[in-house]
Amino acid sequence: MEKQNSERHEIPLTALKNGETGTVTSVRTGRGWGHGRSWGFEKRLMDMGLTPGTKVTVVKSAPFHGPLEILVRGSRLALGRGMAERIFVEREK
Amino acid sequence: MAKRKLVIALAGNANVGKSVIFNYLTGLHQHIGNWPGKTVEKAEGTLHFKGYTIDIVDLPGIYSLSTYSLEELVSRKYIAVEKPDIVINVVDASVLERNLFFTLQLIELETPMIIALNQMDIAKKKGIEIDIEKLEKLLGIPVVPTVAIKGVGIFQLLEKAIEIIEKGTMTKHVEVKYGEEIEKRIAELAKMVERFQFWYPPRYVAIKLLEGDGEIAREVSRIDLQVVLTAKKFAKELENLHGHACSTLITSERYEVVGCIVREAQKIVAPIKPSFEEKFHAVTTHKVIGYLIMVFSLLLMFYSIFMFGGYMSEMLSNFFYGWKPIFTSLLGTGIVGKIVWDGAMGGVIAGVTIALPYILPFYIVLYFLEDSGYLSRIAFLMDNAMHKMGLHGKAFIPVMLGYGCNVPACLGCRIMETERERLLAAFVTTLVPCAATTVIILGLVGQFLGIQWALMLYVLNIVVIFALGKLAFKVLPGEPTALIMEMHDYRVPHLKTVMKQTWFRLAEFIKIAFPLIIVGSLAIKLAEVLGLLKPIATALTPITVMWLGLPPITGITLIFGVLRKELTLIMLATLLETTNFAQALTPTQMIVFTLVAMFYIPCVATIAALVREFGWKKALFITIFEIVFAIILGGVALRALTLTL
Repeated sequence: MEKQNSERHEIPLTALKNGETGTVTSVRTGRGWGHGRSWGFEKRLMDMGLTPGTKVTVVKSAPFHGPLEILVRGSRLALGRGMAERIFVEREK
Repeated sequence: MAKRKLVIALAGNANVGKSVIFNYLTGLHQHIGNWPGKTVEKAEGTLHFKGYTIDIVDLPGIYSLSTYSLEELVSRKYIAVEKPDIVINVVDASVLERNLFFTLQLIELETPMIIALNQMDIAKKKGIEIDIEKLEKLLGIPVVPTVAIKGVGIFQLLEKAIEIIEKGTMTKHVEVKYGEEIEKRIAELAKMVERFQFWYPPRYVAIKLLEGDGEIAREVSRIDLQVVLTAKKFAKELENLHGHACSTLITSERYEVVGCIVREAQKIVAPIKPSFEEKFHAVTTHKVIGYLIMVFSLLLMFYSIFMFGGYMSEMLSNFFYGWKPIFTSLLGTGIVGKIVWDGAMGGVIAGVTIALPYILPFYIVLYFLEDSGYLSRIAFLMDNAMHKMGLHGKAFIPVMLGYGCNVPACLGCRIMETERERLLAAFVTTLVPCAATTVIILGLVGQFLGIQWALMLYVLNIVVIFALGKLAFKVLPGEPTALIMEMHDYRVPHLKTVMKQTWFRLAEFIKIAFPLIIVGSLAIKLAEVLGLLKPIATALTPITVMWLGLPPITGITLIFGVLRKELTLIMLATLLETTNFAQALTPTQMIVFTLVAMFYIPCVATIAALVREFGWKKALFITIFEIVFAIILGGVALRALTLTL
């Protein structure tokens, strides 16, 4: 489902079809300095290279709502669906 | 020249060939243990080179130096506090960008370093060309290209490292510069930090404080709370300015710097066409074929290990029991002889006949699969299923191991990121029927009631695992974590590294399991000699006979099963003086007995592994919980079966 954003066309990473590429706009986990609820997740995502502005290609997703296989900065990552839903991207044309 | 001691640390991402380089450097002079007080593995080795005695420390494979996992924390502290003479940063040339992100963090730690640009062959295959001189200049760090699997470049790497240490001057690293607003705040914080003694460099502390690093904030606040409060304020300001979390900002900028370096030093020449490895990846992660391949390869693995193990195990025990006459002639058949032979030697034999025939091939196959990259594909395929019990895909690997033996499975839970997930995964794996439990299921229920009943028990077991896993997940406080896992390109495993890993794991298994198996065996023998078994069995009758509806002797066999689960069946045969269990047990009793044996307690070796990984309290809790659970389940099953059959 695409969600209309006021200025940009932000959609969750999971809305990209197989083979499509998007640019990361934001990661919507609990925000805040230090030991916020999901500081660890967000930090980990960033460390693996999913920073805002990065191009991400969805290769495929495992069946039954399984994890996504994505290409980012030349590496192949498996990303749990719950987490992928919180990563927002702009679809590349 | 007097022998000088040097310390070299190997650091880098996971699966970049660090351990292969480590093996090349240290050969057989290795020691794998734990970091003091941590369940993080520490591999150390020594090497003599040019008159130096060099200690090589292989740090865990990590992606960052934050505090996401214990491994990251341990590595960071080691580099900052122990200050190795040089850090060899092993970098995967085929995933340069993400690897250099880690390099930048090492630079920020201000440690002397050198880069081993590894897997140059894979990079080449992918059409990636790297200008090494340019990379050296951009980073300000010497770069030595290597192909560790073939031993290419290792000697040059070591030579260069020594050269840098001998020169004594720190190489002039590139400065990682952030945006103006960030730099201003870093400088201000660093100035505050400079006033007190701290093991990390002031600039590093400042950056980490802005990133919201919990560990550093905690330690700094003990010295000067004001610094942490200021950092918090600054971070808020930056967040408001840019609309992203401050740690995101800093990480982005770090990647920005990396991006610039990579754009200049790396060229992708060949058009990317799917290689064989890529096609293989696509097939093994396919939504239908991938699962078929997985099921097939796992079945093949277990089947061949069990076949091989059964054969070897019998040969070994025949060999050992051949010694029995010698022992009896020396010690007689009296109490002493019984205790020494049946107790101590029995324990040793039990240990050896598990370790060599089963655990050894098991580990070889496992490390082969891991090194090749296949395990990460399995984790990808199983992520969804594992989420049903609150864990993520990687947890499938210890669970899978559990079907072989619970001990390596418990130790294998270290692949989980957080303490909580390790404990959850370990709890689940102790419920998995291991090879020994399989002997009971197949030997009793499978043999006398038919294979469909045995399969039903397996299904029931899986249902119980999911239910209890979910329950534990709900009860244990903390946040669930999700799967973020690299699936590196398939590659041919490095045989020597696989064998070495196997050897160390086997030694670890022996160290953990043997003492307890022997002591346990002695204790039970002693109880038997002293005539305590009968009274114990009688004392247990309220449970065994009244609640579970089993013959009283099962009390004794269940005690033996604590040593090795299949002993419950073997002892049953001994005490009944027949292997035709149908004469002594009704079908219902068989099912109840097997159910109880399946869940009632992790064996001593597993308990020892639990103690080592999680401490006495948690190990004891899991053990007691499972005893109580098995007894309740057995009684309920008895009543359900009597009603329906």
